[in-house]
Amino acid sequence: MATKKDVEINSRADTLDLMHPDIRPWPVTPAPPPEEVEKVYAKRKAEDFGKWCEENLRYEYCFGKPEALQGMRFVCCGQWRMGNMFCGGLLCEAGAEVIKVEPPGGDPLRKLTPFGREEYMLESKITGEKCGLDFLHEMRGQKSITINLETEEGRAIYKTLCTQADGVIDEMPPGYMDSIGLGYRDLCEEMPRLVYCNMAVRGTWGSYKDNLSKFGQWTLEPFGGCANSFIHNTGFPQDQLPRGKGGDPTRSGVWFADFCAGEQAANSLLAAMYWRDYLGGTGQFIEVTGSETQMDILDFDISWYGFNASIKARTGAWDPNLNQYEWNPCRDGYMMIGGQTDRLWYRIGMCIERDFPQFGRLIHEDPILKEMGGRNALNMLVKTYTLTTRWLRDINRIEAEQKLLEYEIAAGPVLFIDELSEFPHFKYRPWVCTIDTDHYGTILFSVPPNNYQMRTPHRVKVLGRPLGYDNYEVLQKMCGIGQTQVNEYIEKGVM
Amino acid sequence: MAKDPRVTRIEDLPGPKSKQELEEMKMPYEEYCRAQFDPGNEFSKPQSLKGIRWLSTTMYIFTPHSVSNLAELGADVIKVEMPRMGDPMRHCAPFNETYLYPLHESRPMTGTGMGYLNANPNEYHISMDYHIDEMKEPFYALVRMSDGLTQCYRPGTFDRWKQSYRYLQEINPRFISVWGGGFGYGPKCFGGSYDILGQAHAGLASVTGMHEYMGGHCTKHSNWCIDWYSGTQITFGILAALHWREKTGLGTKIEFSQVQAATRCLGYAAPLYGRFGVVRQRWGNWDTQLCAHGIILCGKSEYPDAENPQDRLEARYAMISAFQDEDWKELCAITGMNDLYDKYKSLNERAEGEAQIEIYAALEKWAEDKSRGEVVKVCQDAGLLAEPVMNDREVYECEHYRERGTIRWMDDPIFGDVLQHGSYSAGLMSKTPRRLFWIWRPVGADNVKVYHELLGYPTSKIEEWYENAWL
Amino acid sequence: MCDIIWCKKDFEGKPCNTINYLDPYCFWNWEGTINCAECGAVYYIHMIQGKMYRGPEDRPGQKPDTSPLYADKPLDGYRFYGAGIEGRTRPFECLPRHIYLGVPDMVKFSIRGRPVRGHRPQPPSAGIAGSYGFDWDIEKLSPDLYEEYQQKIKNGEVSEW
Repeated sequence: MATKKDVEINSRADTLDLMHPDIRPWPVTPAPPPEEVEKVYAKRKAEDFGKWCEENLRYEYCFGKPEALQGMRFVCCGQWRMGNMFCGGLLCEAGAEVIKVEPPGGDPLRKLTPFGREEYMLESKITGEKCGLDFLHEMRGQKSITINLETEEGRAIYKTLCTQADGVIDEMPPGYMDSIGLGYRDLCEEMPRLVYCNMAVRGTWGSYKDNLSKFGQWTLEPFGGCANSFIHNTGFPQDQLPRGKGGDPTRSGVWFADFCAGEQAANSLLAAMYWRDYLGGTGQFIEVTGSETQMDILDFDISWYGFNASIKARTGAWDPNLNQYEWNPCRDGYMMIGGQTDRLWYRIGMCIERDFPQFGRLIHEDPILKEMGGRNALNMLVKTYTLTTRWLRDINRIEAEQKLLEYEIAAGPVLFIDELSEFPHFKYRPWVCTIDTDHYGTILFSVPPNNYQMRTPHRVKVLGRPLGYDNYEVLQKMCGIGQTQVNEYIEKGVM
Repeated sequence: MAKDPRVTRIEDLPGPKSKQELEEMKMPYEEYCRAQFDPGNEFSKPQSLKGIRWLSTTMYIFTPHSVSNLAELGADVIKVEMPRMGDPMRHCAPFNETYLYPLHESRPMTGTGMGYLNANPNEYHISMDYHIDEMKEPFYALVRMSDGLTQCYRPGTFDRWKQSYRYLQEINPRFISVWGGGFGYGPKCFGGSYDILGQAHAGLASVTGMHEYMGGHCTKHSNWCIDWYSGTQITFGILAALHWREKTGLGTKIEFSQVQAATRCLGYAAPLYGRFGVVRQRWGNWDTQLCAHGIILCGKSEYPDAENPQDRLEARYAMISAFQDEDWKELCAITGMNDLYDKYKSLNERAEGEAQIEIYAALEKWAEDKSRGEVVKVCQDAGLLAEPVMNDREVYECEHYRERGTIRWMDDPIFGDVLQHGSYSAGLMSKTPRRLFWIWRPVGADNVKVYHELLGYPTSKIEEWYENAWL
Repeated sequence: MCDIIWCKKDFEGKPCNTINYLDPYCFWNWEGTINCAECGAVYYIHMIQGKMYRGPEDRPGQKPDTSPLYADKPLDGYRFYGAGIEGRTRPFECLPRHIYLGVPDMVKFSIRGRPVRGHRPQPPSAGIAGSYGFDWDIEKLSPDLYEEYQQKIKNGEVSEW
């Protein structure tokens, strides 16, 4: 139970802990109780089904269930990027063991923090070492060991480690692992069942592969999005906002191509493993890149050029393929509305015209807007969204959502992280949740969406790991190297 | 080992075993990669998921993509659409301009919009009104003969139609049943969903776009990225479940909320808020943790005379990255920003909000009289990382993707010549590569193939169903 | 009136009755003058957070700062002015091509000159229950297209990329 106390604020530092989970626990207001949710199921006569889901899929039950990838082991050797982290995180969530190999100085991603603010890094209660939140959040169950691959002994340890693994994730610069004799072609000979996955931004080979700067700086996101047209195609057009003031090509707020690469790397690894275990018997070589996996999912964009030489242009918060399908500003933020088929299109109209009769008239009477394809023309987007926003500007997000949900329309507000953390549905499942970690105290984190399964739900048990925390265990168990030797290696800079 | 320990066999020795292996060991790394992945020769290699059969009663992009990944990896996929209408995604075409015909034999004037592309490749397309009693028998027959199904109806709908996992596990205990949708069990259970809802509702939009003081708004990712990205995560769930099933013989039910998947990629947003109450905001074309590492507007277009407005007006943006100290020093030297170098020597100083504002303004000022190409060249000549923001034409013409086989032309059996940037680009595999047979099929194009050739119904029955519009 | 300006000025002896749409992102916070796409009347508007803080006020004789992207006439069968009609609507610059159709583009050949089924109507070719095979017999189904394609090959207009 939170208690009231006096706080003295003399500097910004004094304010930092005011939101600490010990003082202001998440959630601030409790999630709705199951009895309330039963009523929701009953409204659509799905009581039985709802009950079945709650009994079989609930988050709380995941911890007692088996893990799908039990017994699989991966070595992950990558730095700087989210790709290898996300891939390793997914595999861990599904029950695999992932050993992250870092240089003795640590993955530089550990040191990154928003706006360079060290006060937003968390200190391990045990080792005292600080860690940035991006790294901490993606380090979900992976173990951390340190190996200096520049040394002969370090390379030998790494190689032994690989003999104990089913797969390797390599996100080092192009050809680096190969150049030190630890690439796929070196390992596959002794370990024909090894599945080996390269990860990169544009590739480790090819005429536009990743490069390092003269001073050794890595290619990082959003270079991937620059190379596959994603950034060119994202953002508001200069017709909606002036160029240089919002009307420009825009990158994703997160390193999105890295996430695309991470999940496809995990898929490729599992598919290759399936083939190895049940069909072909051998491992293989894989390469997954951010620019290409994001290009894979760029709708039809590049194909469109092949069709009639169109080059996709930015359309801001509107979608050029569907109407309605957009967000527009409302009184307290932005409201997203979607519904393209006639059934949904007219429901949106009925909802809006209840408050704003002119909408019904101008939209439903217009002959062009009666045809689903015709509605997607640019002119029709301008018309529809101008009138929709005319309705939205007078109401808040929550009002708009309630009104639209009455008509069973897919609609939702643009939410910020504080709002979504307190959104009733998101708290109920929950899809952000806290873990009381051994090193870093209570952490709010994003729950894996694959958590809600009947038999082998994916789950997060451990968040964050100090650098080299697992050196002794992993070396003892997988390489037969005891603590004295490990200490020596650490002394010598091998680990 | 050889039976006689005194015999030395070449297989038992380390090092290359044959001339070919020796050659491989000597090859430069890049050549080796090229030889291993061997783009263009995918069909001479086996498929990862050979023998898996999956049913897809899906619509739009999100749930179809969870299956299309399997289809590219070699699973047999049967896509079931509602008779005559098909997947609503077939009616999506950018600005209503791009369609491939026909949609279905009865609708020669209607095409399938390019919006449908990449979401249902390699699949057999049948039609079936599976919600009526008369069609339960063939539906269940398909379930008996398949490994799993992905569906996207509102929660409870399949249950009402006796097609939810509760029922299907009785018919086929090995069955993996996947529901993908907006929210899943809970108070907003019946909320519908789209990609854009995920982007909006789950926080991705709140961190994407120009900051308010730059005049910007929350910005939508150009494509249906959350649909695709969360579909791919379902595929991961399916593949993990398949591994488990091979061990135990048991299927499962997966309930996947795509909206939640958007929250999953927000990185430090949740822990930062949870620990300090700080709400992550949008930060335009810059990076919240690295500087200089951002996209700048250059003064001149690279193709001022091009006909296409995207070439003529938009080829003006360059990504510049020099966040490490030495790179930063060099960048300041070549752009004449030495005062800024003195002011912001460490990465943490540079990454501060006010510093970033000052730095990028100075960079754009420097680039004011230059074209994108000039900006990139100056940086690259100095050994720094800088690249143009490429458009679709430039990506199409980029040699890199052609060498890697990730952009290629496709001679589709029904629709003809289609440029393809999906499938092969999801990841290169040396032994069991992904591949593409066809982009999609007209609605019900494989009715005979599946009902007759797979399930064994006589064609008269199929025609009868078709007459009744049950197919 | 707000996000739309329904112009009722006298125009050629009748009320103009044209709706000028003020699209949301451009005009969400905006101050200046804008013309009616039909009669050319100029209005001053000042919008804050989507609301008309001042206006629309008449500014006869003034040059407009901008024009609407779209305007239509509900009393006239929804006749409309789309983007980029000189003197009436402002152009939409950020387009995928130099031309804008808004209706299906009838495409017979891909950009490298090979046949693609991007045009209608397609002659019937389905078998039982709407089923299709795995080939497109252009020569039989679309002889004109086939002819055109042969011509293209001869002219060297078909390429690998």
